[in-house]
Amino acid sequence: MYLPDFNFHQPVSIQDAILLLGQKPNAVAMAGGTDLLVEMKKGVRMHENVISLVKIRELKLITEDEENLIIGACTTHSEIIASALVGKIAPSLVEATSKIGSDQVRNTGTIGGNICTAASCCDTAPVLLSLNASVEIAGSENVRTVPLNDFFTFNKKTILTTGELVTKIIVPKPGPGTGACYEKFGLREAGSISVVSVAAMVRVADGACADACIVIGAVAPTPKISRQATEMLRGIKVSEFVENQFFQEELGAAAVRDSIPIDDIRGGAQYRRDVLKVLVQRAIRRAIELAGRHSPPSLVGEGGQGG
Amino acid sequence: MKQIITINVNGDEFEVAVKANATLLDLLRDELKLTGTKKGCELGDCGACTVIMDGKAVNACLVLAVEAAGSKVETIEGLATGTELHPIQRAYVEKGAIQCGYCTPGMIMRTKSILDKYPIPTKEEIKEELSGNLCRCTGYTKIIEAVETARDYLNGKKPPELEFMPQKSTIDLSVVGKRLPKIDAPDKATGRAVYTDDISLPNMIYGKLLLSAVPHAKIVSIDTSKAKALAGVKVVLTGADVPDVRWGTSPPRYDETILAKGKVRFVGDVVAAVAAIDEETCYRALALIKVAYEELPAVFDPIEAMKDGAPRLFDDKYENNINTHVDHHFGDIEKGFAEADHIREERFTGNRTYQNPMEPHCSIAEWDRHGRVTLHTSTQVVHYVHHQLSHILGIPLGDIRVIMTNCGGGFGAKAATTTIEVMSIFLARIAGCAVKMRFSREEMYLFGRGRHKQYIDLKIGVKKDGTITAVKQKAVLEGGAYSSFGIVSTYYAGSMITTLYKFPNYKYDGFRVNTNLPPCGAFRGHGCPHPRFAFESLLTMIADDLGMDSIDIRLKNAMTPEYNTCNDLEIHSCEFKACIEDVRNKSGWNQKKGKLPIGRGIGIGCGGFVSGAGYPIYRSKFPHSSATIKVLEDGSRAVLFIGDADIGQGSDTVLAMAACEAMGISYDRISVVSADSDLTPIGFGAYSSRVTLMGGNACKMAGEDVKKQILKQAAEIMNLDAGLLEVKDNKIFLKTGPSTFIPWEQAGFAHFSKKGPLLGKGHYSPPEGLGGNYKGAAIGTSPAYSFSATVCEVEVDMETGKVKVLNFWDAHDCGTAVNPMLVEGQAEGAVLMGMSEALFENEVFDNRGKMINADLHNYLIATSADMPEIHSTIVDSYEPAGPYGAKEVGEGATLPILGAIANAVADAIGVRIFDLPITPQRVLEAINGIKKKRD
Repeated sequence: MYLPDFNFHQPVSIQDAILLLGQKPNAVAMAGGTDLLVEMKKGVRMHENVISLVKIRELKLITEDEENLIIGACTTHSEIIASALVGKIAPSLVEATSKIGSDQVRNTGTIGGNICTAASCCDTAPVLLSLNASVEIAGSENVRTVPLNDFFTFNKKTILTTGELVTKIIVPKPGPGTGACYEKFGLREAGSISVVSVAAMVRVADGACADACIVIGAVAPTPKISRQATEMLRGIKVSEFVENQFFQEELGAAAVRDSIPIDDIRGGAQYRRDVLKVLVQRAIRRAIELAGRHSPPSLVGEGGQGG
Repeated sequence: MKQIITINVNGDEFEVAVKANATLLDLLRDELKLTGTKKGCELGDCGACTVIMDGKAVNACLVLAVEAAGSKVETIEGLATGTELHPIQRAYVEKGAIQCGYCTPGMIMRTKSILDKYPIPTKEEIKEELSGNLCRCTGYTKIIEAVETARDYLNGKKPPELEFMPQKSTIDLSVVGKRLPKIDAPDKATGRAVYTDDISLPNMIYGKLLLSAVPHAKIVSIDTSKAKALAGVKVVLTGADVPDVRWGTSPPRYDETILAKGKVRFVGDVVAAVAAIDEETCYRALALIKVAYEELPAVFDPIEAMKDGAPRLFDDKYENNINTHVDHHFGDIEKGFAEADHIREERFTGNRTYQNPMEPHCSIAEWDRHGRVTLHTSTQVVHYVHHQLSHILGIPLGDIRVIMTNCGGGFGAKAATTTIEVMSIFLARIAGCAVKMRFSREEMYLFGRGRHKQYIDLKIGVKKDGTITAVKQKAVLEGGAYSSFGIVSTYYAGSMITTLYKFPNYKYDGFRVNTNLPPCGAFRGHGCPHPRFAFESLLTMIADDLGMDSIDIRLKNAMTPEYNTCNDLEIHSCEFKACIEDVRNKSGWNQKKGKLPIGRGIGIGCGGFVSGAGYPIYRSKFPHSSATIKVLEDGSRAVLFIGDADIGQGSDTVLAMAACEAMGISYDRISVVSADSDLTPIGFGAYSSRVTLMGGNACKMAGEDVKKQILKQAAEIMNLDAGLLEVKDNKIFLKTGPSTFIPWEQAGFAHFSKKGPLLGKGHYSPPEGLGGNYKGAAIGTSPAYSFSATVCEVEVDMETGKVKVLNFWDAHDCGTAVNPMLVEGQAEGAVLMGMSEALFENEVFDNRGKMINADLHNYLIATSADMPEIHSTIVDSYEPAGPYGAKEVGEGATLPILGAIANAVADAIGVRIFDLPITPQRVLEAINGIKKKRD
């Protein structure tokens, strides 16, 4: 096994990186390299020019403005896990990120890389989709901000065009009473790829789901929002959900209808549907419970005492 | 183009020119010669190359060297101060956390990064945090203990003392029976231990193989002209350039060629070989070789392959692709079933699994000017490689030297000669310089020799009280393209079913079938784990049918000492019942069985194995193991020379302990030189769990030879009759008055001064005539047999089918445990490997015979986070045929696991899984199956 040779570039600004990506033939941007180098070693991808992004300081940041949490694309998974700011605003992102690979992988792998690899089983995208995140894309002409929901086009395919670079991930701050979580189903306890994953976000107001988003991973060409499950959940009274086992199962079934799983070595399509149905229910139950902890207790009853 | 970077490694600044495609791992190993950091998978899955970069653990294989410019890197070489080990290294050595040592540097560096960040991690945190570092030997148990101990050392706390009760058979012994650290552990903890890939000889070049991309084809033509023309390429060989020799593992089935002769039989079959100035050039040259294939129909399923009209792999042999057929009948099967009150027959299927030693195979060949070749290689079996090379090259053993370097695990993957051992020699001869060849992880899978997947029809008849009256087994073994160990595997699959339970009537039909897939071989428990899984599963089902406790049915039929099985295997020492009782008690079986809630289950499985095969792989009159001891001139130390191979299991340590005990010296006065065909006398190597008993006997005999001489010398000095003297703990003393003594070294010094070198020699062969008189009776024979029992407790997620193993309680009759810490290490490793095989592992191929999970990312093996609690016990036992009463544990301990898990899962979910691996999907389908039935 060897890494085929390439020209290596290490720009220090976004502009230079974009320029190189646009000019150099068969160029690829590399963040942590934990996916790209593996694919290049395996011969799945060949690139003449590798543009390393790690020296671009602007891409390594975790900050906030009034409305958003902003994460630079080259922020490593470990940096996200360690960030008190991310933990406060988007704890489900920390939860999902901590389930990626191993510590060694998380120390080099980045959130931007995870998204741009665009694997349907990727761990950060479901959560980011559930939180209605956007990505900032810089190109030679302009900078655009695109909802993550429009970013993925197919397994390992995105809307990025030649010379474009994801620079930031922008996560709107959740309103009060929001609970969000990530359920990952892998075949072993660590370092495994998701067979099925579900991210759930629920905002509870006045005892009802004022907003919700259910995202399903590894069961379609891209991580995707389950429209049907999401619609079913919106407006529902929390008590109705909690008490109604049948409704919970219906929610799971709705998510299954939005899935188009495949058979692969990790599981058959039907098995994925079965697990998806379970994970959706678990994720929503947990999200609602978490929402309770982030709401004034009077509105959600018993579950809201967790602080 | 190279770029000059500066990098700080272990406090030293280096200025190095690196290519863009060089990884930090390449930089450390190839440029800076810091070979302590290991290359295990090259894809970031195993953690063997873990180093600390700017305070964070990273996989050096996935960091570009150019990107490491300006960083501070800590590697294993930087940890110890002079000869003083770092507290983490000390903890790993003391706790027995090091076996083959290949994962150790990465594991220790990861430990350091954990303890740097979290000074007081809990056990659960340690298990989670270490999960990116795979270990195949230890079962992680002792590694976790070592991290806890290191944590305590670093926090200035004294780690808790271990409670340890010595076995009865070791009470009067000085060295045997003690929990001593492995003799090679300090070297492995510091990165000093040299593995083959760490060796770089002057003017050494590299070799690589071109593997077939098609499963079955005639080779129409091979055009190597472009490859030969590539700058840096030294040699290109195809089948036409090498002798037409057939080779393999078992002489009756030598069916492999050195390079493909006109035909390829699986994706991975070896078509051509290239030697060039570096590996990169080799790979570029391989891509330039044009092979024209005329594809033939291929067959991947053994049941299909046996049918008339199926594509044939060999035109001239193996009719219906049946490579081996065994037809055994002992007692009277008809009568046996007629006597039964209850008969049950079921079909079970195993899985195709791969040993995955953490160290990939590597060999370096160099020829000298006298026409003699030296091979440095990572092997379990120096002598068999030696013998096979002599056969292939047509030169005597004396013209070949085979040296085993440190071997980073084997489990059977390195138990026979490999293609790179052969090809490196051919390439080196033509190139006129040393050639290094190594497998990538993918090439390891494609070379194969993993576990045969077996399709088993098993029928057992019992009386009302559970007494077994008859057993009938049919096994079809999916063999892959060539024979490898397969003939032996097929016999083992049948013969070893008789050693645990007594039954007089037994019929076995075994078929090994060739398919267009990588060849299968010998993997820990060789041929036996799948039949044992089937047997243990069916026995529990029958107990349930009878309303009998599944432990009681085992006790009812359990083997006892001095028993001849129906297939003429002679059982001597046997504490099987003690093992079963032990696990029943400590697991709380009686309180749990039948009383656990749905989704929670408990099950028992049993196993056992040979303590060394009774006969060698080829007909040979050589002793199976032999040893020499040389005492240093001043009598201060002995050096033990032993042909058997320490592949991580700790045989150098165990054999040294046996020799020390025999000579009467302490463990700190011995060194070991092992597995070098020039220096060490013959030993058949590390396979069939043979080294402790056979090597141990040879070393004990050599030690006794030294003892005899030293007593004679001491008697002269002391003016006493030698018969009045005894030797122990470095002293030679009067038996009746131990205060009259001289130091051992005084006698040693005097001996050398007066009589020249003080040498001892010993050898061992199993008793002659083991086994019956029928065809294949040799396989399964052994001087002694081990016994094990395991209770497993699982929790099953009833909605997803995911199985989590909570506990294993295992007990082992391994005779005397020469070193109980190493025995536990073998047992824990066997348990976790068995669990990993039972739950996760399976090689998967596409419909063109290409393996689609040939890496550690998709072929999953258990991590530390999957590790259950393992509670091992060594029962009191003494085997007269073994050194100080010892027999095997390494393979026998694997055998109970598959069945124990299957039985526990069945107990948890109320339905039986018949096929391995027990994946969540299979479990959920089974659960849903019952639900449907109920509806």
